[in-house]
Amino acid sequence: MVAALTPARVQLREAPTTDKPRSLLSRISRNKTLLLMCLPAIVFFIVFNYIPLPGAWIAFTNFNYRDGIFGSPFVGMRNFEFLIQSGQLWLLTKNTLLYNLAFIVLGNILQVALAIMLNEIRSKYFKKISQAVMFLPYFISVVLVGVIAFNLLNFDTGALNALIEQTGGDPIKIYSIAGAWPIIIIAFHLWQSTGYGSIVYFAAIMGIDNSLFEAAAIDGASAWQRIRYIILPSLKPTFIILLLFSLGGIMKGNFGLFWNLVGNNAALYQTTDIIETSVYRMIISQNNFTSSAAVGLYQSLFGFAIVMLANWIVRRINEDYALF
Amino acid sequence: MRKSLARAGAAALTLAMSVTALAACSPGEAEESGEPTTITMLVLGDKPTNGRLEAMLEKLNVRLEEEANANLDLFYVEWADWQTQYNTQLLSGDDSIDLITTATDWLFAWENAEKGAFLPLSEEMLQEHAPRTWEQVDAEGHWELTKLDGEIQFIPEDNFTQWTNHGFFYRGDWATEAGFEDGTITKFEDFTTYFEWVKENQKEAYPWDAAAGASDVALTGYLQGHTDGQTIQQVSAGNYFPFQTTESDPNTVGSWYMEGDELLEAAELAKEWNELGVWREDALNYDGDTREEFYAGLSGTDQHHTQTFVGSIVDNMTKKQPGSDPKFFYWGQENGNYFRDILTHGAMAVNATSQNPEKALEVYDVLRNDEEAYKLLNFGIEGTDYVMTDDGKLGYPEGYDSSTDALGSNFWAGRMDEFEPDRVTDAPNKQEIYDQLDASAKDYPYSTLIVNKDLIDPTLAAMGGVLSEYIPQLQYGKFDDPAAAIDEMRQKLIDAGYEDARDSIQTDLDAWAESQG
Repeated sequence: MVAALTPARVQLREAPTTDKPRSLLSRISRNKTLLLMCLPAIVFFIVFNYIPLPGAWIAFTNFNYRDGIFGSPFVGMRNFEFLIQSGQLWLLTKNTLLYNLAFIVLGNILQVALAIMLNEIRSKYFKKISQAVMFLPYFISVVLVGVIAFNLLNFDTGALNALIEQTGGDPIKIYSIAGAWPIIIIAFHLWQSTGYGSIVYFAAIMGIDNSLFEAAAIDGASAWQRIRYIILPSLKPTFIILLLFSLGGIMKGNFGLFWNLVGNNAALYQTTDIIETSVYRMIISQNNFTSSAAVGLYQSLFGFAIVMLANWIVRRINEDYALF
Repeated sequence: MRKSLARAGAAALTLAMSVTALAACSPGEAEESGEPTTITMLVLGDKPTNGRLEAMLEKLNVRLEEEANANLDLFYVEWADWQTQYNTQLLSGDDSIDLITTATDWLFAWENAEKGAFLPLSEEMLQEHAPRTWEQVDAEGHWELTKLDGEIQFIPEDNFTQWTNHGFFYRGDWATEAGFEDGTITKFEDFTTYFEWVKENQKEAYPWDAAAGASDVALTGYLQGHTDGQTIQQVSAGNYFPFQTTESDPNTVGSWYMEGDELLEAAELAKEWNELGVWREDALNYDGDTREEFYAGLSGTDQHHTQTFVGSIVDNMTKKQPGSDPKFFYWGQENGNYFRDILTHGAMAVNATSQNPEKALEVYDVLRNDEEAYKLLNFGIEGTDYVMTDDGKLGYPEGYDSSTDALGSNFWAGRMDEFEPDRVTDAPNKQEIYDQLDASAKDYPYSTLIVNKDLIDPTLAAMGGVLSEYIPQLQYGKFDDPAAAIDEMRQKLIDAGYEDARDSIQTDLDAWAESQG
């Protein structure tokens, strides 16, 4: 978004200055309005992301209250052992990665498709109403989503099984079929997030220079051709940036959704347990801050590596699209 | 610009000064000037919003000012996600809290003591600032139960009779119709007959509408009644307690999850119940209020402990399901394998970072031993929160509804038998039930055993992960082949380091046994 602020204007302001290297202070005062606008975000990240960073040290200690995080005895990698001992590391990493890949890839494709479809709707009211209706699920709490799912899918009183029984079929034990849950979870995730996510793409389409469409119309381009040759290529930078952003969170699960849909149902863990849910279960009953910090650190470092790798690949392909 | 800068500076200065002014009101100074010190006590429970707590505190504080020149304030750790909240609160080192409710079997007292969360209490300190408490606990020799490395870590609620042994609540009227003499079930397996009858004859009700939270109770119930295993309460792996000794061999650590055929028998019974439809097919995902369903006649069975049975089940069932004749079957009833409550099921610790530890002890001593203060804190204001009936029982005023009018002070760390009258809501046969339990209950043999978990923490975490995967499914009969599932679970527990953990606990037990002579 920042890139969209015209660089020309910034240059205009800097133009009268001489070539002398300017001090940091004068640069700050020159850009104070822009910096002020960034301030809330900067403060947020400092307070919630940078200040707590040294606390990750707790993952390498045998923590006690008296000595605090930095005074407690150092134990090396011992807190990481349980991840390997439990035999869950691979399963959790795999589930987390695969779910996020599905969310990111399917999510972005659907969001683009939805944005394009919205753009093609001509009736103003229909467009607004569709947008609002697709937007709404985003505001439904995942706790309610869990309840809705249970009422739809449970064996004894669920709506789906009632329908099946009424039509003469045998009810399905959905909460015992691990294989069904990747589909259910992905479906609920997409239902919740697609409408909201499509807004950025819709805004990007709105931002496309109208003269391109006018020229295409004069050349007799069909709707499909307009999409294929103008809209999709224009969305590419947005698509890649959003993809990179979401890759940063690829090791983070949508905890609320998973927890509320699956909860403590161990029969489904094989296909639904992600790092967050597994850690949460251990922490609520175990009072074990060091091991949870260890998992959190593993998660963050792995996620960091993936972002660097993805960014590196993107830069190799087209430097302009890389984040840094 | 300059003007606004000056103004901002002035504002900042004012703010800084007011902060300093506030800081100057620290309790230490207050004492010098004779102002009462405020002592904050951490309690477990949902903070009440009906205003009754505040009204009570106002009166209580008058008494506390007379007795100890102090005021009391309560800090609530609410039930939502309480394990995390509680431990995180202690972890934060918040020095505004002075007294901490704790317990060795359910509130991580030893773990937190080992981590230095509590202020070790010297004998002199207790004798000087909590003399009545010191004397009573000392007379019974109970300080020994609270020591870590020779130092007293907390004050036990050792003078309060309660039974928190678990079991099934069921309906005597239905059991009678199912063919049980007097409607009384005396064996765990006999519940199959009861469940079958409910399934057949009470179409509206589940035989036992169980929710996901009850994820191991029925297995434990079977194991307790069919082995002489004694669970070591000091060591948990996740939500489970996988280490036991046996009564016949109390010096050898083992596990009923790992040894013997009883776990398989229990799992096979659970499978039979699952196929019968005793609980919902999706019990593992169900989190409804099953107690209300029992009250509404929609469930034939409920599960919790004796205290719940005598305190609310009998009263509620008698009112809501007249003639239902509620009964209690407790785990280990068949073979007498159940235990008295340990004396540290409730305890009070002083926060290691408290600014006023001496004052905190003085306040506690009043709350525990001064009848007026005790009654205010535990029962509220006479006439509005409770009434005394003509026959000396504690009752409630007209129109009182316990679900909205409860006082909610949740003082579970120093109740005293002599100040506790019978309540009108108590089961009429409460004493009979207590006597029956008392007749063959065992004392927990390892109250003073301290297990060093530093070395086995990662193993316990890993074991907790394995158990949380298998136990709920075994309990609800969800495996097609329980025997294969149990083999698989045992192998995974061994891979997780079960044997090392067992040996490490064995070492601690040996050392403890030696010190006991």
